[in-house]
Amino acid sequence: MSRGSGAGYDRHITIFSPEGRLYQVEYAFKAVKAAGITSIGVRGKDSVCFVTQKKVPDKLLDQTSVTHLFSITKYIGLLATGMTADAKSLVAHARNEAAEFKFKLGYEIPVDYLAKRLADKSQVYTQHAYMRPLGVSAMLIGIDDEQGPQLYKCDPAGHYFGYKATSSGSKEQEAVNFLEKKIKSNPQLSYEETVQTAISCLQSILLEDFKPTEIEVGVVSAGKPEFRVLTTEEIDEHLTAISERD
Amino acid sequence: MGDSQYSFSLTTFSPSGKLVQIEYALMAVGAGQTSLGIKASNGVVIATEKKLPSILVDEASINKIQSLTPNIGVVYSGMGPDSRVLVRKSRKQAQTYQRLYQEPIPLSQLVRETAAVMQEFTQSGGVRPFGVSLLVAGFDDNGPQLYQVDPSGSYFSWKASAIGKNVSNAKTFLEKRYTDDMELEDAIHTAILTLKEGFEGQISGKNIEIGIIDDKRIFKVLTPAEVDDYLAEVE
Repeated sequence: MSRGSGAGYDRHITIFSPEGRLYQVEYAFKAVKAAGITSIGVRGKDSVCFVTQKKVPDKLLDQTSVTHLFSITKYIGLLATGMTADAKSLVAHARNEAAEFKFKLGYEIPVDYLAKRLADKSQVYTQHAYMRPLGVSAMLIGIDDEQGPQLYKCDPAGHYFGYKATSSGSKEQEAVNFLEKKIKSNPQLSYEETVQTAISCLQSILLEDFKPTEIEVGVVSAGKPEFRVLTTEEIDEHLTAISERD
Repeated sequence: MGDSQYSFSLTTFSPSGKLVQIEYALMAVGAGQTSLGIKASNGVVIATEKKLPSILVDEASINKIQSLTPNIGVVYSGMGPDSRVLVRKSRKQAQTYQRLYQEPIPLSQLVRETAAVMQEFTQSGGVRPFGVSLLVAGFDDNGPQLYQVDPSGSYFSWKASAIGKNVSNAKTFLEKRYTDDMELEDAIHTAILTLKEGFEGQISGKNIEIGIIDDKRIFKVLTPAEVDDYLAEVE
């Protein structure tokens, strides 16, 4: 009779369970949900945006230092959902990859290639016992010279896909259901529609109307391909437009 | 490999003499989407299901079938991230050979080197086996060939094979339909019919991928439009 995987070792490091699963990777996904925030990304006709909740647990905290949005290069933004420290590690690695690419090849790293490099690094953690998988799901946005607006998501398992719209975090499934309905008709969303779809999705699944300081929004668009975080005033404009529309 | 803190192997023998981590890796493969390959007299075809987790995923961003050299292609069943590692290592091995001998690497040698990598991960310290099986297709001076490589690192040359879910039905179907003098066009139709057998839902150029290599020795992945044309022929 086989002894099994070595007395439950399969739950502690990334080796296979008897059913052929990797428990540590599955638990890493749970860690992403446990962070308690939800993020949404939407790709439009010539722009991409992502939105996340901004929960500041303590009034004494400096709000400006609490952020999940990071610029990796001038043209690529990353939204990290999950454990903050792991997120910082991932961002540092992404910035390094992007800078090396620019140095060696002489042009800006494409979004899909950066997503692949991050996913490959995550895959290493799922196969080597010495490092655990990161408890972070990362969304990348940018405008590609050939493909136009791009939205990619990399997860703890090392998967990465391009998306028309996607979500991560505690209410991921509800958000995906909402987005599938919206995107099914293959709409060609303008910049305003892209941002408002993302924000209204978040509002609808969390059943609350946000104040501009409670969410963070990052955008890139074909006209202005630099990655930008919207100011509170700009967010307020979009929120007003959404409530007037409804 | 040998990660410093883990200088012991995680894949060890059970009392009955089995390497259970490899068995579990095979279960991970068996849970993956079906892939198959068929060797014809004048070429090879490989095909796979491309079922995406949501309609929100941009299917154009995903390429399950990859080329390793201009005349060798590969498809996997099992864990996608693991397959990317093997694709990268194989490409490097092919290039190293090319640089040394100024000749394209023969398919059997590339498969042997890739299989050796997979075997290393069943024995080295601190790593787990790959959760993928590969079907490698190519056309070189020894003619058209199809190889299957498993997580254990063992590999065989096949006339036709299937990996992933629904393997037994697919293989039974292939056994009935396969003939030694089959031509590439027949093989492509047979591949599509085999995939259709176990396919849930409406099959189309967007949810399967097909790669072919003919006697011109250039491996190419068919566009969704080309796949749709073949699907129409099969109807």
